[in-house]
Amino acid sequence: MFSLLGATTLVLVAGAPWTLPAAVGGINLKSPQNVEVHIIDDTFTLSWNRSDLAVGNVTFSADYQVPRNDTWLKLPGCQSITSTKCNFSSLKLNIYEEVKLRIRAEKGNDTSPWHNVDAFTPFEKAQIGPPKVHLEAEDKAIKINISPPGAKDGIMWALDSSSFTYSLAIWKNSSSAEVRTKTVYPRDKIYQLSPETTYCLKVRARLLPRKIGAYSPVHCIKTTVENKLPPPENIRIDAKNDIYVLKWDYAYENVTFQAQWLHAYFRKIPGSESGIYLIRVQASDGNTTSVWSKDKRFDPQLQSVLAPPVINMKSTNDVSLRVYISAPEESENKSVNQHYSVIYEIVFWENISNAERKTLEKRTDLTFPNLKPLTVYCAKARALTADERWNKSSIFSDPVCEKTKAGNTSKTWLIAGICVALLSIPVVSYVLKLLLRCIRYVFFPSSKPPSTIHEYLSEPPLRNLLLFTSEEQTERCFIIENTNILTAVEEPDQAGEDHKKYNSQTSQDSGNYSNEDESNGSKCGEDFPQEEAE
Amino acid sequence: MMGRCTLHIALLVCFSTSALAVSYKLLGFQLRSSSLECQELLLKLNGTSKYCLKDRMNFEIPEEITKSQPFQKEEAILVILEIFQKIFDIFSRNISSTGWNETTVENLLATLHWQKEHLETILEEIMEEENFTWDNATLLHLKKYYLRIVRYLKAKEYSTCAWTVVQAEVLRDFFFLDRLINFLQN
Repeated sequence: MFSLLGATTLVLVAGAPWTLPAAVGGINLKSPQNVEVHIIDDTFTLSWNRSDLAVGNVTFSADYQVPRNDTWLKLPGCQSITSTKCNFSSLKLNIYEEVKLRIRAEKGNDTSPWHNVDAFTPFEKAQIGPPKVHLEAEDKAIKINISPPGAKDGIMWALDSSSFTYSLAIWKNSSSAEVRTKTVYPRDKIYQLSPETTYCLKVRARLLPRKIGAYSPVHCIKTTVENKLPPPENIRIDAKNDIYVLKWDYAYENVTFQAQWLHAYFRKIPGSESGIYLIRVQASDGNTTSVWSKDKRFDPQLQSVLAPPVINMKSTNDVSLRVYISAPEESENKSVNQHYSVIYEIVFWENISNAERKTLEKRTDLTFPNLKPLTVYCAKARALTADERWNKSSIFSDPVCEKTKAGNTSKTWLIAGICVALLSIPVVSYVLKLLLRCIRYVFFPSSKPPSTIHEYLSEPPLRNLLLFTSEEQTERCFIIENTNILTAVEEPDQAGEDHKKYNSQTSQDSGNYSNEDESNGSKCGEDFPQEEAE
Repeated sequence: MMGRCTLHIALLVCFSTSALAVSYKLLGFQLRSSSLECQELLLKLNGTSKYCLKDRMNFEIPEEITKSQPFQKEEAILVILEIFQKIFDIFSRNISSTGWNETTVENLLATLHWQKEHLETILEEIMEEENFTWDNATLLHLKKYYLRIVRYLKAKEYSTCAWTVVQAEVLRDFFFLDRLINFLQN
């Protein structure tokens, strides 16, 4: 048992040196807390907080690691730092690649565990610093010249220097001043200011999609005394058939003018056609010159090139006009119509009255119906960009006029209608008559019996219907053989008894009769009552 | 009150997205014409010489661009803008050794600049109206790619052959750019 005790103490004593320093390190040195990386332009800063128990000469060191390399390398500028932040801008990193950092506290030979910083991409983490601003005052404007943020040979914005957009805030250097914010170009002018006033401004850069930079320090400047000659105003450019005319307004007379142009991205070039131009005009009366006018942005593509469409009109048979719109002819200059979807504005009017009708149509084939016959109508059309954002329109095409037809078809239709009506009258009346008859038959029957029955009933002495004897037709027959007795057989119009009498007398004889019938006069024979009636 | 407010906002978002949807098609038409113009100007710059074959370099254009991976419309605009910006930056550098016609280069820069500005305006509007998310990885890969090109130019001290190689590479970029523009049409 004692050997067991001895063995355990031995193990414990042996084990102690292993655990003790670590235990001591764990207790004494904790890794730094709240470690943060800040990147502003090309300045890379690592900052942290000491852990509470840190006492005495505690220093901090950091390492970094890049994706392709699995080893941790020493972070330059962040080795054995006594303060709680360090600058490692000297490290030439690939700013678009992820990098990992770690930092620990050190005291003599003791070190704290590493505190790992989440992997980050320097470009994503970078913030845009303040741009540099240079100002020049005029009487009613301030010229500004903005340099992009970061050092000239910096790496962070090396490829983005021409991609920055700038916004400026300007206000009068007095209390309760209104702050005006506007987007400006790197070389720009702020207009509509008062002379001899102090203005203060600050600028910040922005990089799409989501980076917004810090404002520059506030710069204040005083505008100069008002100039004798004002600059020309309301500069505009009219485009007519590919000829551009520059126009401006000026209040005073006896002045000469000078105009200058520039490509919008500020390079000196001898003439080119595409792109945005800036144009400015200056007035001079010999002694003094005015300041340059406001730069007029001129975009030839936006200004002109929407050529007017070709319009055709035809009169159709039913007193209407059919309008056909087609794309303009191909001109030498590239037409913009093919790149934008256009709609057409058609103005339609009667030649005499000048009452106009305007429609906006996407169709190129439309009809104006229900017009007056034998009247002259005119139409003209122009092309507009369908999207209002572009807001371009061509000039109106030349008007085309056309006379509507006489409306013959309507007349023929009228005549045909009348004929049909006339024809239909007897038909209709006949039908009506039939109907009436039918109605009368059904609802108002006449008390007269039908005509055939009526005939019978109309013969007064012969009411055979009531007697119910069959009609007999007899012929007068003469018996030639028996010359003694000539019997005339007459129509039996008496009662049956007489009838019988006659039969017995003449039963022997068969006489001739005067009928032309071939059959014998057997009708006149003894069996004649049974014979058929006529 | 809140219900009505949210309804108004919902309607506004719906209409604004439909309004933007209309202009995407127009934007696509217009981008194509710009791209074509730029390619024509690039081809005008005489370049290839057999002596430059040894200076060829694989700049490793990002896969997201070469593979026909579908892009959301807003993301496509971001990527297209990035490409226009970077090509503008490249051709703003020192081309004195090339002997290229300066007017042609200025025309190219003018076209790129115009297109850049136009896209920036549209993107600012989109940013204000919509709250869409995009994957930064594609943009970062693009930036790395263009950094490789610029470093190559610097290393070769903007020599004629280096510019010839870059001219060919940028022409290839326009091919992929045209593919990206197609994503705006759908």
